[in-house]
Amino acid sequence: MSGEEKEIPKLQKCIAVLWPSFLTAGAATGLFFSAFDPYDLFPFGEDTGLSRLGIYTIGFFLFWALTAVSGIGTLYFAITNCLRYNTSRRQD
Amino acid sequence: MDVNKTNQAARPDSTADEQIEQSLYARQEKIYPREVHGLFARLRALGVLSLLGIFYGVPWLRWGGHQAILFDLPARKFHIFGLTLWPQDFIYLAFLLIIAGLTLFFVTALAGRIWCGYACPQTVWTEAFLWIERKVEGDRMKQRKLDAQPWNARKIRVKATKHALWILFSLWTGFTFVGYFTPIIELGQRLIVVNLGPWETFWIIFYGFATYGNAGWMREQVCKYMCPYARFQSAMFDRDTLIISYDQARGEPRGSRKRSADHHGLGLGDCIDCTMCVQVCPTGIDIRDGLQYECIACSACIDACDDVMDKMGYDRGLVRYTTETAMHGGKRHIIRPRIIVYALFLLTIMSIFAWSIAHRVVLELNVIRDRNSLYRETSDGLIENVYTLKVLNKDDAEHSYSLGVSGIPGLALKSDLKEIRVEPGGVLEVPVRLHADESELQSRSSQVVFTLVANDDQTLSVTENARFIGP
Ligand code: SF4
Ligand code: SF4
Repeated sequence: MSGEEKEIPKLQKCIAVLWPSFLTAGAATGLFFSAFDPYDLFPFGEDTGLSRLGIYTIGFFLFWALTAVSGIGTLYFAITNCLRYNTSRRQD
Repeated sequence: MDVNKTNQAARPDSTADEQIEQSLYARQEKIYPREVHGLFARLRALGVLSLLGIFYGVPWLRWGGHQAILFDLPARKFHIFGLTLWPQDFIYLAFLLIIAGLTLFFVTALAGRIWCGYACPQTVWTEAFLWIERKVEGDRMKQRKLDAQPWNARKIRVKATKHALWILFSLWTGFTFVGYFTPIIELGQRLIVVNLGPWETFWIIFYGFATYGNAGWMREQVCKYMCPYARFQSAMFDRDTLIISYDQARGEPRGSRKRSADHHGLGLGDCIDCTMCVQVCPTGIDIRDGLQYECIACSACIDACDDVMDKMGYDRGLVRYTTETAMHGGKRHIIRPRIIVYALFLLTIMSIFAWSIAHRVVLELNVIRDRNSLYRETSDGLIENVYTLKVLNKDDAEHSYSLGVSGIPGLALKSDLKEIRVEPGGVLEVPVRLHADESELQSRSSQVVFTLVANDDQTLSVTENARFIGP
């Protein structure tokens, strides 16, 4: 099983997860922060010493983490299901 | 050169990492595209230079006292020349994105992947990086030799220079990028006194790093493996789309021959199998194998082959811009249903966009009822409701406004504010009280209408509904 998994290079997997999630996170950040002003979201924003740019940045990385997790899920199921399918076919 | 930088820049090239360099994404040979000269190379250089010029120059343009193009994220407003957009205007941005997407569809159907070859940032920055690489390391042969030879002082020096230049160029790119989102002049001043904010610094380095990685290392692999457009562009293709193609019928059978030889007599086609077209290809493919999705239509192979044809005294155009139909002797159709449909879509969306921008009301009024009490009876027996009005001036000039209200006979408007004057982009909260006679109220809750008109421009007005609550 791991033999086939090795055929997809690690780096390729990383990019397959990180790149599309980067794009969707960017879009999500744009949508989210055009609807909500960070300073309205966190009335104490100024007290935490975070500028709007800082909150946007953190927001972007949170979105990215979220979309990347879903990407990892997709990749994991795609690979394991595909392998199971292939192995079961080979046994037939 | 500073020693620190030398080590840092040279490390990725150490022999242990040689393999990784060659297989940054997929296992493949590093491509050393040969430099080309010719008509299309000049066109491409023109495209690359003007686009780079626009990218690095535009943030420095001024317009009416502010940066001409500024997506001011910290201040939450976008300046596009005379137009100022606020987060409430997000729809316009969505419109612009749709227009850009449709334009890309239209151009692709018409002229194939010229976007990739001439205008895509990936291509543009890769070209710039290749140019720096050539200036430092020399031509293709010299680069190959340098990479193959063991590390010595000269190799370290040359590689370090290249990477230092790349990194500088990338950082400048990152700086310019951030300059589209925060005022660039202030950003530059803060940079000079080394007083950049942490987030600005982060994004400059992040974007700079992305530029360095994509244009210096990933290059054609971005087109092959990461670009969504490269994957779906073929959906816009048909037999009349402009492509770059090798004329199989004319070129084959390929083979080397003497310049003076009568190749037709020898049973040979026009292709002398010199592989120039392969050597110049930035994606490392052979155009003679037919249309491939890796081909970014950069037209380097056209220039290379034309050059060879000239030297051989054959007609140019063995590799050329053509269409599938034309290649098979058919007539080229420029106007076809697909083009018409895309064009109509594009025109419609653009007209809607232009119309709505032209009719945009640069004034917004929000009415918020006082949440603490439904109503109050005043000392002279009238019913009072309290509201907070939020006046948002989306114009670039200051205005003062007159407020009116209607909906209930004898309705009176009271405010402690003498004048409603709002600076450009400003929001003013106006607390107001409405007084009505109880006998005039038809029901517990009646509708009232606030009207706000600019004093200097009667066309600048908005209305907003609200509820008036009575006993
Ligand atoms: S095949 Fe020709 S046009 Fe396509 S990428 Fe290679 S050199 Fe450019
Ligand atoms: S450059 Fe022209 S002649 Fe040379 S190999 Fe390519 S197609 Fe053939």
